[in-house]
Amino acid sequence: MSMLRRVLGGPVGAILFAFFLAACAMLVAGVSPADGFQALFIGSLGGKQQIAETLVQTTALLFPALGISLAFRAGLFNIGAEGQLVVGGLAAGAIGAHFVAATPLAIFVLLACGFIGGGVWGAIAGWLRAQFNANEIISTLMLNFIALAVANYLVSGPLKSSAAAGAETAPLPTSSWLPLLIPDTRLSIGLIIAIIAAFVLRWVFTRTVFGYELRAAGEAPEAARRNGVNMPRMTFLALTLSGAIAGLGGATLVTGVLHRFNTQLSPGYGYTAIAVALVGDLNPLWVCVAAFGFGILEAGGLAMQALADVPKDAIHVIEGLIILVLAARRYIATRAEGAPI
Amino acid sequence: METTPCVVQDLLLSLRGICKTFPGVRAVDGVDLDLYSHEIHALVGENGAGKSTLANIAFGAIKFDEGTLDTGGNVVGLVHQHFELVGRLTVWQNVMLGREPRRGWRIDAAAARKRVADLAHRYGLEIDPDAFVDELPVGVQQRVELLRELEREPAVLLLDEPTAALAPAEIDSFFKTITSLAQNGTAIMIVTHKLQEVISYSKRVSVMRHGKIAGRFETAQTSVDEIARAMVGGDLPKVAQRESVVKVPCFRIEGVSAGSGSTAISDVSFHVDAGEIVGIAGVEGNGQTTLADAIAQMIPHSGTISLADAGLRTAIIPQDRHREGLVLGWSITDNVILGRQQLPETRRGVMIDRRAAREDAQAIVKSLDVRAASLDVAVKTLSGGNQQKIVVGRALLGNPQFVLAYQPTRGIDVGAAALVQSRLIEARNAGAAVLLISFELDEILALADRVLVMYRGQIAGSFAGDQIDRGRIGRLMAGSSS
Amino acid sequence: MSSAGGVFIVTLVTLTLIKSTPIIYAALGGVISERAGIVNIGLEGMMAGGAFTAVVFAGMTGSPIVGLLAGIGAGALLGFVLGFAATVFKVDQIVAGTGINLVAVGGAAFALMLLYNQPGASPQVNALGSSYWILVAVAFVCALLLHAVLYYTPWGLRVRACGENPRAVHDAGLHPLRLRLYAVIISGALAGLGGAFLSIGEVNIYSDGMTAGRGFIALAAVIFGRWTPWGATGAAIFFGFFEALQYVLQGRIAWLPSDAMQAIPYVAALFAIAGLVGKVRAPAADGIPY
Repeated sequence: MSMLRRVLGGPVGAILFAFFLAACAMLVAGVSPADGFQALFIGSLGGKQQIAETLVQTTALLFPALGISLAFRAGLFNIGAEGQLVVGGLAAGAIGAHFVAATPLAIFVLLACGFIGGGVWGAIAGWLRAQFNANEIISTLMLNFIALAVANYLVSGPLKSSAAAGAETAPLPTSSWLPLLIPDTRLSIGLIIAIIAAFVLRWVFTRTVFGYELRAAGEAPEAARRNGVNMPRMTFLALTLSGAIAGLGGATLVTGVLHRFNTQLSPGYGYTAIAVALVGDLNPLWVCVAAFGFGILEAGGLAMQALADVPKDAIHVIEGLIILVLAARRYIATRAEGAPI
Repeated sequence: METTPCVVQDLLLSLRGICKTFPGVRAVDGVDLDLYSHEIHALVGENGAGKSTLANIAFGAIKFDEGTLDTGGNVVGLVHQHFELVGRLTVWQNVMLGREPRRGWRIDAAAARKRVADLAHRYGLEIDPDAFVDELPVGVQQRVELLRELEREPAVLLLDEPTAALAPAEIDSFFKTITSLAQNGTAIMIVTHKLQEVISYSKRVSVMRHGKIAGRFETAQTSVDEIARAMVGGDLPKVAQRESVVKVPCFRIEGVSAGSGSTAISDVSFHVDAGEIVGIAGVEGNGQTTLADAIAQMIPHSGTISLADAGLRTAIIPQDRHREGLVLGWSITDNVILGRQQLPETRRGVMIDRRAAREDAQAIVKSLDVRAASLDVAVKTLSGGNQQKIVVGRALLGNPQFVLAYQPTRGIDVGAAALVQSRLIEARNAGAAVLLISFELDEILALADRVLVMYRGQIAGSFAGDQIDRGRIGRLMAGSSS
Repeated sequence: MSSAGGVFIVTLVTLTLIKSTPIIYAALGGVISERAGIVNIGLEGMMAGGAFTAVVFAGMTGSPIVGLLAGIGAGALLGFVLGFAATVFKVDQIVAGTGINLVAVGGAAFALMLLYNQPGASPQVNALGSSYWILVAVAFVCALLLHAVLYYTPWGLRVRACGENPRAVHDAGLHPLRLRLYAVIISGALAGLGGAFLSIGEVNIYSDGMTAGRGFIALAAVIFGRWTPWGATGAAIFFGFFEALQYVLQGRIAWLPSDAMQAIPYVAALFAIAGLVGKVRAPAADGIPY
């Protein structure tokens, strides 16, 4: 009994509860939950293509979620991963389509462009916070809208490919595509890069002086400030790095999946990634697990729409519910330990 | 003070067999306590003995596990140790919060002001009802806190460490108020660790130790020594002795001005030699925090603050260990790294040397007798005394040549305080320059080789050796120049 | 020329008022919840919820008034969810607000499919038409009311105390959690009203992404307006002005493409929080669970 309670009280319970609510929503929508969930899981795990697609979504979510984890750990609410991802993708796409020679090194250059592009976008918020104490929640959000407007302008104007019908850059030369991880699918080695990034991030958090100072700044800012942590510098660095990781994700989407930049690059990965980071408890390795779970939802959502006629936006409702339920669960867990709150 | 013997005393509040367990701690363990009208009852004990918990139980703020609480319908008031005031509201808004007089849909501000002014007058607590609380000195904030409780006309008034932040003169006037309240029939219980106050003002004393009542005394028939022994369960710990040390220049500040408003400091100059403890005496709020922040390079300042040799090691024991000294959710080991993460001995390249940190933590736990289940427990689970031992032990690692200790024994038990004081004296004996800022004059007098008095942001006087005179220092602290 | 200039200015002022109104409502909602100590990141979702629900009920009943009330109710309900999560469950407010946004925006898109079986936008409904001007005026009345409530009533005093030091409120024998909960419900109702203005005031449909970050702009307005009702209203007008400017300038300045001009209000918000926030203090217990 207590075993059952432990399991249900954990993340599993939260996810089950969210699915229960989703099932209710399906019933309301006049769809049998069995059909809905079957479509969801067949669409995400039912075969090689489906699993590959799930992992593509996992990769796309993992980078911004890792970036968000880093910022949140530093006590900075970076809600701007979406914009950072877009700018990173834009940088990689623009430079990849126009300026990079077809050499094997090109791919590294493009990933670096994404890293730097996202980093610059994060750095703006970091600088505003460090220099003017401008609330980073607002600034990163505003930067999302600005990034999208700028990207829209560039791909429908100066960077627009004359060959393409829609608003997008010219395609990248095949030499600067990320190699595929599973042949004949959309899954590139971006997934491997993301998982390596997670391990590096974990190492930074737990082993390095920088990670130590970053966590101190997040958990006890005044104690950190008084004990040798340069807070403005830490704020700037944390938001910059956070943006850079999200930007790297944008670059892997461009070089690994789309092979060009357009503003449909992200259907809101940067926002969903907030949920991923929180569900993963801001712990890089758990964030990987969470990203896989959300990857299932994202990939399965489309199948659900096609096969069971459940609008894929239902997925966002499930995600939001998981966030709310998980956050509440944390309270229940601490209460059960009897910690005075 | 004696209450008039012919007064009939009523039992106003009674606790029987009260037990309260927090996770892992039996905070209160079968306590009986009676509070009578017309008298001041002192509840003493070391930090962590369960006094505050008991006071909160009597007030009704904490639910207890076993036992009975009988207030007979009397109104009970509790003045907290840490003031719970709203800084950006005015005095009358704080006092009347929740009981605002109305006129139609609006607060009747005039009536509220009058009520507060009347109360203040009745109890001799001078105060401006329209002042913003966060602009008031601590002593005056205490009056607001007290007025807020008095407004409810309590029959039983519980005071948790009420004098912790007050100056000697403020303490006297505070007790005058309290004593007159008691004479008018209020049952008063003071939770405190200041035994001199207990002897001077209370009628009865209950001593708590490890959640139990360890002794009950009629104040007239006991002594500070007897109460203290009951508190610590034996003899008082000894503090290390000062030895004579050759003094060489170490730390100097020259014409330093910093801060703004009532806590600004201006043109402060003094020096601390290696091998001496210089104590800064003064009432809280006279610029000590600004001085400490300027020395810690936390705020900009004019003038010079310098060490004899730029390579000397410095250490700071901050005033507020919770906010400034520790990351409460972290382990002891990780907290021992804090502030030293950039030093060569705690890092290997870009990495933290956790093994070295563990050894340091082990050494601190051992030498300062930190009571903790392991080095991996979160420091928030430790008592205040044990937390402070970690802060002090960490600061003194690597034998710093200059130590700034700001209220190093604030809110910790007698045993821990003696240990902390001993460590400071040992550091001095070993040749460190120690600057001690404390609001407790007794602590300054016990530890310092030289005493500087701080008043309104300036050094108002300096005493060394035989010239150290409690009376004169006390007068300077209160602002009288004679 | 001068008459063209006059028309330009009249258009700009009118449009500024219209564009400011939803932001004013949401910003006032932000003020009351933050003064009570709860950061309402969910304003965006509450606006979206209000906008969508208003359209649904206006469509169902044919009465825009019912739609308006339903929009307010939807916002209040989402406010209750956030408040309940933040007070009873002590969920991190940023986290809960983010959850609310996902649920509300996603839920609206989901329900759009369910109810009308068409993605992206609802069919046209019976909207307020020209009487939406009343709502523009009501926004200012709300600011006045909120000012009066916060600074002159016992309840307002308690709410403000709650945002500074909930423990003091508790010691005064009051219920800080209840106060915070009520404040967030009102906050949601105001945001829902702002959302309803967007959908059945300005236009007569709900479309995905219609709130376009106005909830977040409103949060910027709260900070920019120093957590006061009038300050936030002023800041909302400031942002509304830039949004109006973007429309008015479209096509007038050849070298500035419309895509880039969409960024104007957001850039303005960025400058506003960078340049003018530094010295103000948020309520001391804002965002801290009690």
